[in-house]
Amino acid sequence: MIRLVPDQSQQIRRAAEVEFTFDGMPVRAHVGDTIAVALMRAGHLHLRDAPQDDAPRGAFCCMGLCQECVVRIDGGLVESCCEAVRDGLVVQSLKVSAP
Amino acid sequence: MTDHYDIAIIGGGIMGCASALQMAAGGMRPIVLDQGDLGQGASGVNAGTLSLQIKRVKLMPYALRGHHEWEAMGDAVGFRKTGGYTLAFTEREVELLHERQKLKAEAGAPITFVSNNALRAAEPNLTHKVLAASYCPEDGYANSSLTGQYFRGRLQDAVVPYREGCPVTAVARNAQGFELTTAQGSIWATRLLLAAGAWLKPVAAMLGVDLPVNARINTVSVTERMLPLTSTVIGHATGLLTMKQKANGTVLVGGGWQGRGTPQEGRGEVMAETVKPNMALAQFALPALAKARVLRSWTGFEANVPDFYPLAGALPGVEDAFVLGCVRGGYTIGPYIGKLMGDFILGREPDLPLFDPGRDFHED
Amino acid sequence: MTESYDIAVIGAGPAGANAALSAAKHGFRVLLLDEQPAPGGQVWRAKSAAILSAPATPESRAGKALRAAVRDSDVHHQGNTRVWQIERQSAGWDVHTLTDGQTAKVMAKALILSPGAREFVQPIPGWTTPGVIGLAGATALFKRDLLLPGNRTVVSGTGPLVFFVASEIRRLGGQVAAVVTPNTRRDWLGVLPAMRGRPDLLARGALWVADLMLAGVPLLWGHSVTAAQGQGSVSGVSVRKLDRNWEPIGGERGIEADSLCLGHGLIPNVEAAQLAGLPLHLRPELGGWVPEVGADGRTQIDNLFLCGDGAGIRGAAAAEIQGKMAGLNAARHLGADTAGAIAELQQSYARAARFGLAMTKLSQPRSGLSSLTTPDTVVCRCESLKQSDILAEVASGAGSTNAVKSGLRAGMGPCGGKYCQTAIARMIAAAHDRPEGDIPPPTPRPPLRPVPASALAGDFDYNDLPIPKPAPL
Repeated sequence: MIRLVPDQSQQIRRAAEVEFTFDGMPVRAHVGDTIAVALMRAGHLHLRDAPQDDAPRGAFCCMGLCQECVVRIDGGLVESCCEAVRDGLVVQSLKVSAP
Repeated sequence: MTDHYDIAIIGGGIMGCASALQMAAGGMRPIVLDQGDLGQGASGVNAGTLSLQIKRVKLMPYALRGHHEWEAMGDAVGFRKTGGYTLAFTEREVELLHERQKLKAEAGAPITFVSNNALRAAEPNLTHKVLAASYCPEDGYANSSLTGQYFRGRLQDAVVPYREGCPVTAVARNAQGFELTTAQGSIWATRLLLAAGAWLKPVAAMLGVDLPVNARINTVSVTERMLPLTSTVIGHATGLLTMKQKANGTVLVGGGWQGRGTPQEGRGEVMAETVKPNMALAQFALPALAKARVLRSWTGFEANVPDFYPLAGALPGVEDAFVLGCVRGGYTIGPYIGKLMGDFILGREPDLPLFDPGRDFHED
Repeated sequence: MTESYDIAVIGAGPAGANAALSAAKHGFRVLLLDEQPAPGGQVWRAKSAAILSAPATPESRAGKALRAAVRDSDVHHQGNTRVWQIERQSAGWDVHTLTDGQTAKVMAKALILSPGAREFVQPIPGWTTPGVIGLAGATALFKRDLLLPGNRTVVSGTGPLVFFVASEIRRLGGQVAAVVTPNTRRDWLGVLPAMRGRPDLLARGALWVADLMLAGVPLLWGHSVTAAQGQGSVSGVSVRKLDRNWEPIGGERGIEADSLCLGHGLIPNVEAAQLAGLPLHLRPELGGWVPEVGADGRTQIDNLFLCGDGAGIRGAAAAEIQGKMAGLNAARHLGADTAGAIAELQQSYARAARFGLAMTKLSQPRSGLSSLTTPDTVVCRCESLKQSDILAEVASGAGSTNAVKSGLRAGMGPCGGKYCQTAIARMIAAAHDRPEGDIPPPTPRPPLRPVPASALAGDFDYNDLPIPKPAPL
């Protein structure tokens, strides 16, 4: 089929991989990825439960404004779309069921 | 003359609304006017602390009754009686705390001193650097953000008219009473109650009265939702900190740190220079607060006169005009002193004495 | 630790970076603050460190050129820095920053704000479901991370952004389930005259659309996604035709998808300007509430300048030129002779702005779009407040965004109202039958972004606490 917009996905080279955990589950990411991106690629879209109705939420604005993608790291809340992964990082969701 | 009322109340904060409700219950026909929204001045932006430990000795009877008013308003205003601790971290603060709390206890506040062990058992996340702490089981808080919503509903229930976004730009005295020029047309009233908080000075000036009203610009900050950290209202011997964690997990931090600006300019400005030590002190008292993100800081104007006692009574020199404001601890005391003011204007004897606005302010 | 500059620029997109470059050329000490690691803003956002190499795009080339220009200049660029408070002082401005968990204060004689824009998304049922992201958010993923939002994506929204997003999904190897846009082909024909000045963009847009058509991607003109289905993730969307006012008409049909990109135009980020003391006016043609700003970036405050989409949505090309003028005006304020250079830019700015404003007009929601929000739709995401909650508060007498905020906490959550206040103001205006211009956004509150308490506390020493005179007993 003729494509006017070529598929360039095979021309992208990404950095070496590291591993971190999300609610105890191992997640692989490229060095330099944000946490949100690594989680999204791994299929973890549901990052927290909303107040009041506990409804599932995930990254929305992807630019550090909406606060929907916050996760807990070392006891504090962090915008996962702005924070880079590190090898061995322990990331917790804000789900009601989070460990 | 459809718009003729028994009394026009300028200022739709706690005191203005509480007086209006009392007067309406007593058979008068009041109207409440606010330049903005109801309860969005000091009534709606203060830290909501209901603490007898920070009330003036002479105002304690008013504060005790104010607490009962808040308790009666209950969930609708986010009232919680949590008890409260006031902390001292240095010998000097210990001395200050003992000296002041003793007098407040004598004035009727059920304040006791607690051991460090008792404090740690009740508030395990507080710093261990506390040298002394006083406790008052009556202390707690309400949610000042709900003031406007609450009184809007109460006024509607009592069929008391109110106008929001209705600044009064001129007041004229005539044979029938007062004619008020407002952003929404003229309003006539037999009597006038000035309850405009930090804006009392310019409002009284429209009647040719110079009230020596100043405004402090108090700063409050709030964090995002946190896991449970503290369950009582925390204060500091110097008064530089009030802190409480609300039911939703947010932590509200105040303590009278000053922003800048004047009521005449319309808004107060938060200053980084004062927010920072305020949050530092909060974190010193509650180290786990370090992990919290601060979402908002704001200021509210707290009006006062030189002797820091209320203005509550007849406006000097203007017949049928009254003034209510400048109450230190005005959030706590407001609902009660509003009722007293209503009684006074209704011609009843108030349960507790009012505070003559015509007094010499330097005698105290 | 306080550093002092002649000029501080907040935001390193096309406007801010060009403002900084222009001012620095006249010998001034210029600080360029930005929350991203590298200049470029949202539109020319740099790739993340995770991307070692990738094919270039027009956006990546423009960003690369801008980054090189900043690197080769005397501008002091400080990335990864958020501004949380702005205070006007007698001698200039105090700008309070947050970098790597530390706060600092910067002083500057003149301040240039180029805060850019964010997205308006009309709340629809299911828009809070994980897998629904903003259209602008999707572009951030493409530019920075070269990541797809899902395996099969519906792209829905207004203006040119839907076609860019759909095309990028195709470029990155993804599948576009459908492009759904309230705009009609007739709307697009209407802006052709304004696009004549930018044949490059016209050609590029035509190519995107032709590619989508060749690929058999359904292009639903005059339609909107009206709901996203799925519990923990998106399983599909509902689509309805819209009338000329963008009110849904006709039946609903379903499209299977695991992701949805949704957006309804950009709105200027005005909070920094508000903190700096500029009043706002409603200018729908510029994207919403904006401060009064001259074409050349001057404001009513003589040492404060504003440029780029934060001054009104006119697009990147106009932002570049307005940025240059703002930088030159700041230099002029500090004594440089730049009047001639500013005058020379006016004409090209007007041309670029004309194109940008035509795109803004296409993207601006029409009044019927509000009806996509149902009573059970969450409007305030932070506090999970539904439309019915807000309408009940408004019906009980709350007549301003401040009153709704106080009564319900709508806007008190962590996003600070950035994603709900536009919709709420429209709901208040509609319910009280008042013009939208009567319902301004709530009173601005610092910090501009959440700041950790530890960063505010810094290295606090208890002994430094200024002990006040005890309160009167």
